[in-house]
Amino acid sequence: MVLLAAPGIGRVSAATPARRLRPHLTWAISIAAALAVVGFVGAIQWNSSLAREAFTTSAQQTLARQVTSLEAEQADLRQQIAAAEAEVRRFQQQSTTSSAVLDDLNRQLSAARLAVGLTRVRGPGVIVEIADSKRVVPDGENPANFIVLVDDLRDIVTALWASGAEAISINGERLVATSSIYGVGASVLVNTAFLSPTFRIEAIGPEGLLQRFQEHPAFRGRVAQRIEFFGLEFATQASSELTLEPFVGTTRFRWAVPLEEADE
Amino acid sequence: MRSPLAQGSLFGVALLIGVLLVGQLRSQARPTEISQLSAQELSELVDTLGARNRELRTGLADLRETLRDYRLTGTQGQSAVDVGREDLRRITAFGGLAAVQGQGIVLQIDGDLDAIALNDLLNELRNAGAEALAIDDVRITHRSVAIQGPVSLLIDGHQVGRSLTISAIGSPDGLLATMERPGGIIAQLQQFIDASIVATQSNQITLPATEADLAPTVAQPIE
Repeated sequence: MVLLAAPGIGRVSAATPARRLRPHLTWAISIAAALAVVGFVGAIQWNSSLAREAFTTSAQQTLARQVTSLEAEQADLRQQIAAAEAEVRRFQQQSTTSSAVLDDLNRQLSAARLAVGLTRVRGPGVIVEIADSKRVVPDGENPANFIVLVDDLRDIVTALWASGAEAISINGERLVATSSIYGVGASVLVNTAFLSPTFRIEAIGPEGLLQRFQEHPAFRGRVAQRIEFFGLEFATQASSELTLEPFVGTTRFRWAVPLEEADE
Repeated sequence: MRSPLAQGSLFGVALLIGVLLVGQLRSQARPTEISQLSAQELSELVDTLGARNRELRTGLADLRETLRDYRLTGTQGQSAVDVGREDLRRITAFGGLAAVQGQGIVLQIDGDLDAIALNDLLNELRNAGAEALAIDDVRITHRSVAIQGPVSLLIDGHQVGRSLTISAIGSPDGLLATMERPGGIIAQLQQFIDASIVATQSNQITLPATEADLAPTVAQPIE
């Protein structure tokens, strides 16, 4: 404060009449108020940082490093899987001209990939976004009520499928037959990915999908009430063209064997 | 006030306030940043991510095997057909378009189960590593959800009675342990619903292909 105000005030006092002191006095008061705010916020920030630091044990730090490392490994594995899948598709596309049998087989492969969520798709649909409430948690209230829970996402997805959605992704994670939406504390895992809010659910489906979704009991029963009561951030929008990426992950079973193979 | 020094000072103060306010708001956000999760949550996350990464590594190894087969056979002839057929078997089994068989667990449920509970059970089985699922004789696909119908629960348009069976193919030990763990899904549900849920391991479960037509009508493929 001294460094900011002293030179200006000194110059004013020496070279100007008293009537010109008023604007400078106002300015000095403004700066003083601003610096008081800085001090206040800085003190809160410093105190909360200390509290968090004290709470973070060395075991937590070790585990957090493991999570970060596993996430990095996962990103690398997913990239490799996507590249290998693309190469398999290239082999199949190259072979389409080879024979009628191969041609037919590749058509079946393309249709099966499309049906089960292994193909990038586009089409009309809806975007649903949900995020934590911005309300201040009142004393005595459970803070968990004010954040998006895994049940909210499941209810939204259930309502979308039940309303006729043909393809759904959550923050880019395409939902397939083996997908789960799983909560670990306040965090959410979809497929293999650790997701954070804002959650963006994109669904491709026939006309009227948004209206059917909004009226569906799976949406209205629980999540719609939480949105209203706790102020979860929520928005929906119909879209004429969405693009959903394919599922990236393992599609090979260890335990389940296709029946015709099992019979052999 | 008009001097460059004064303006610069004002800018500096405003910037500092902005930075501190952002920091403060972030510190009040939910603990989704890894560093803010509890040790228990982190431990669970490490286990889950570790298991998922193992699955991904296995899947990648299998994919590379398929690629090696393609490279060996070239893109023509009977061998390429065989590789393609194998790929088709894999994809149709994965998505529920083909019948499958294997070990796993069977949940026998008797009583009043609501749609949320049934969907939660399916989700928990998937999370525990179930590869294929069916409710009674209805194969579960990515689009299958239980909803409350006029007289009973419905799954893919089929009625589900008060007595039903959920069959899951996967590691029998892993699936059973997850479902029956203290505080797990079965324990939770039995506090809120009037139904008995009995889980047993099975060496041979056969699940049919879905009867639903999963071919999209509005979603178009992008090659």
